[in-house]
Amino acid sequence: MRGMLSAGVTAILLISSAAGAQAPSGLGTEEFGMSPRQLVQAIERVEELIAKCMRDEGFQYIAADYNTVRAGMTADKKLPGLSEEEFISRHGFGVSTMYTGQAPQLATGYSPAKVGLGERNVQAFKNLSPADQVAYNRALLGENTGTTFAVALETENLSQCGGCTRKAIEQIFKPEQLKATFYNPQDALINNDPRMKAALRQYAAEMRKSGFEYNHPDEVEPDVRARLAALTNGGTLPVEKMSAEQRANLRKLQDYERRVALTTFKLQDELLGPIEERIQQELFSRKVQ
Amino acid sequence: MAAKRVNVLYAALAAVAAAAAGAWWAGSRIESPAEVAARTAAPAPSPVLVPVERRVLSSDVVTRGTVRFGLPQPVSVAPSALKASAGLITTLPVRNTQIGEGGVLLTASGRPVFVLQGELPAYRDLVPGLVGDDVLQLERGLARLGFDPGPIDGTFDRQTSAAVAKWYRSKGWEPFGPTRDQITNVRALEREWGDAMKAKMAALAAVEAAGPAVEAANAAAAHSSRVAAFESATRMAAQSRMAETDRAGMSLTVENERAKAVHANTAADADLAAQIAERAFIVLDPRTTETARMAAESKLELARAARERIRLEGELAVQAAEREAMMTGERTELAKAAERSARLEGAKAVRAALDARKLAAFDAKMATDRANQLAADLELARSKLGEGVPADEVVFLRALPVRVEEVTAAVGAVGTGAVMKVTNNQLAIDSSLPLDAAPLVKPGMPVAIDEQALGVRATGTVEMVAGTPGTRGVDGFHFYLEVRVDSTPVQLEGFSVRLTIPTESTKGAVTAVPVSALSLAADGTSRVQVENDGVLEYVVVKPGLSATGYVEVTPVDAKLAPGQLVVVGYKISADREPK
Repeated sequence: MRGMLSAGVTAILLISSAAGAQAPSGLGTEEFGMSPRQLVQAIERVEELIAKCMRDEGFQYIAADYNTVRAGMTADKKLPGLSEEEFISRHGFGVSTMYTGQAPQLATGYSPAKVGLGERNVQAFKNLSPADQVAYNRALLGENTGTTFAVALETENLSQCGGCTRKAIEQIFKPEQLKATFYNPQDALINNDPRMKAALRQYAAEMRKSGFEYNHPDEVEPDVRARLAALTNGGTLPVEKMSAEQRANLRKLQDYERRVALTTFKLQDELLGPIEERIQQELFSRKVQ
Repeated sequence: MAAKRVNVLYAALAAVAAAAAGAWWAGSRIESPAEVAARTAAPAPSPVLVPVERRVLSSDVVTRGTVRFGLPQPVSVAPSALKASAGLITTLPVRNTQIGEGGVLLTASGRPVFVLQGELPAYRDLVPGLVGDDVLQLERGLARLGFDPGPIDGTFDRQTSAAVAKWYRSKGWEPFGPTRDQITNVRALEREWGDAMKAKMAALAAVEAAGPAVEAANAAAAHSSRVAAFESATRMAAQSRMAETDRAGMSLTVENERAKAVHANTAADADLAAQIAERAFIVLDPRTTETARMAAESKLELARAARERIRLEGELAVQAAEREAMMTGERTELAKAAERSARLEGAKAVRAALDARKLAAFDAKMATDRANQLAADLELARSKLGEGVPADEVVFLRALPVRVEEVTAAVGAVGTGAVMKVTNNQLAIDSSLPLDAAPLVKPGMPVAIDEQALGVRATGTVEMVAGTPGTRGVDGFHFYLEVRVDSTPVQLEGFSVRLTIPTESTKGAVTAVPVSALSLAADGTSRVQVENDGVLEYVVVKPGLSATGYVEVTPVDAKLAPGQLVVVGYKISADREPK
């Protein structure tokens, strides 16, 4: 009888455990835990607010549609003809390796920020005087001119946004989502999984073996961005105005970025990716896109 | 017994658990009709209320522009023909340097480049003797600087030159005087003029002398003609006489000569006879000395020789007379020819004298002209010896003072050509207006200028709105807009600023509600929904100016006071919000 009772209690506990592993209601699969519909609405409302704010600042800004912003998000770490692995092996995250110090609208090559702003806004920007261009980006992006709305969405870090972009985001996103410490609930769920925790411990050990002190893949790119910001006065120092020492430091950072990006990419691909996929399947019954 | 009770307890617990699970399952899936109705019913209306306000509504055009200084213009230094080569820049102003009239823009090879106000550029050296508008604007500039240039008439005279010298010295520079070439040129002209004057005097003297020479030639010709005519007449007379004698059968001249010869022979014979007698007398006298005898012999011989000579001379004279008689006709012809020749020679001499006089007059005219020309050149060259302003030492600009915007030349470079860009001190803003906003903005409208990031606020005025889009560097979907900055607490040059141009405004504070409070009734009237003591009522209003999210409203029948709450929307429950 005792055995029956134990089995019953165990069954109840298992049911409860299974219920706890289910994704909470309202948790979406897109950035910031939003559903696809919520993401589209958020993007369109933010863009409208950005356009209004820019109008109030005296600038013309055409609100980018969802597809444009999404194109900017998906342009991250992608170049025509290169797979993601090839991109990372050549350009790392594309952070310091693609750094020019110019406004994103004036970029001639790889620039997810430029893609996410939309071609009409880029053309309008190019028609401005140099002083107006500086003021435009200050009004639109604040101090950190490399972080457009699309880039911030893709990196799930809205804390770097400024200017009208931040004002608009503040009206649509929750205050905790604007913090640098904000973690996507979905990712938090996955990271709390014992299997993922074990994998992350292994990841940290492998990274240390390669000479990198990171405990999670999400720490790598922000760290590279922070190092670049420190080197370039927050991204305001054009490459052509750098001193020889600054250029040498930039080259070192670029080498570091390539190495660390490739290492973490391989570990993610081989070690973390399969586990994350399994956990997502259990949570959402499908792989999150 | 105890085990039985424990089993009963377990069974009861299991039953309770099963019942609880069943209740939980059923409760989570079974809904009452009331629950369904409550869940599917529309949420209770929760109006969003905002107060009616009294405010000034202003419809603004907001745009952006970059502040710059007005009248940007390049400054070029023209080369000077007075200097062998252009100087090298020795000093240059720095950016933002203010340069007023009479100030030094830069120095080149130790010489200044002054700035004066004027429309015309300095395209030539301004030196004494010149006339023109550029001289006029130099004189005006000198007068403005307090250096009296004399009559301001566009002529660079001695007074202008003196004023230039004073101006240079007042600034601590030595005025630009005559060059070595100019002085050498004057000296050469002076020498040439002296030579020309001498030549002129000689030519005039030659003209003076040519008159008497002509008269002398006339007189000589007349005399020669008369002599020749006389000779010819004589010859003709002699010929006539000869002709008369010939007609008488003898030649008087010949006979005359013969008679002379006979007479002379007779006299000679008589003399000879006398000598002979004297000799005989002496020879016969024994007392006579030998010397006397020899003298008598000699005299006799002389007498004999004289008789022979006379005889021969007589014969020759007769022969000559006979020959003369024979040549009389020829001599007459010769005399006539000589007369004609003398006339011709006289005429030639007169003509030559006349020609010489003309030539002398021509030479005199040429010499006079050359002397006059050289005198004028010399005067001009002397007049240019005063102090002037070389073309590379002055720059004329339309408006002064100016501010150095950008220095394009470098120290050590050649000091001619484009050297810098300057502007005036009036701040202006280059901006643009969208196609729809451009017609609303007119010149003269006030403009609020601000830059929030810098905390800068200023005021300005619309200076111009381009008539066509796409001009002055703006794209084809915008009109160029220029705003003049009237007052600014800080230096705005180079900043991008926001321009707010009120295009329409209510005259003072009016009753206004948010645009979203206004709705359209079925009959076409506008209305707002007002809360009165918890009750929502519609108030018909007449809308006015709409700006910045508010609209001016005038109630038609009811009253609408500031502070009253109007509905701008309805809040839906949180669980139905999209976020």
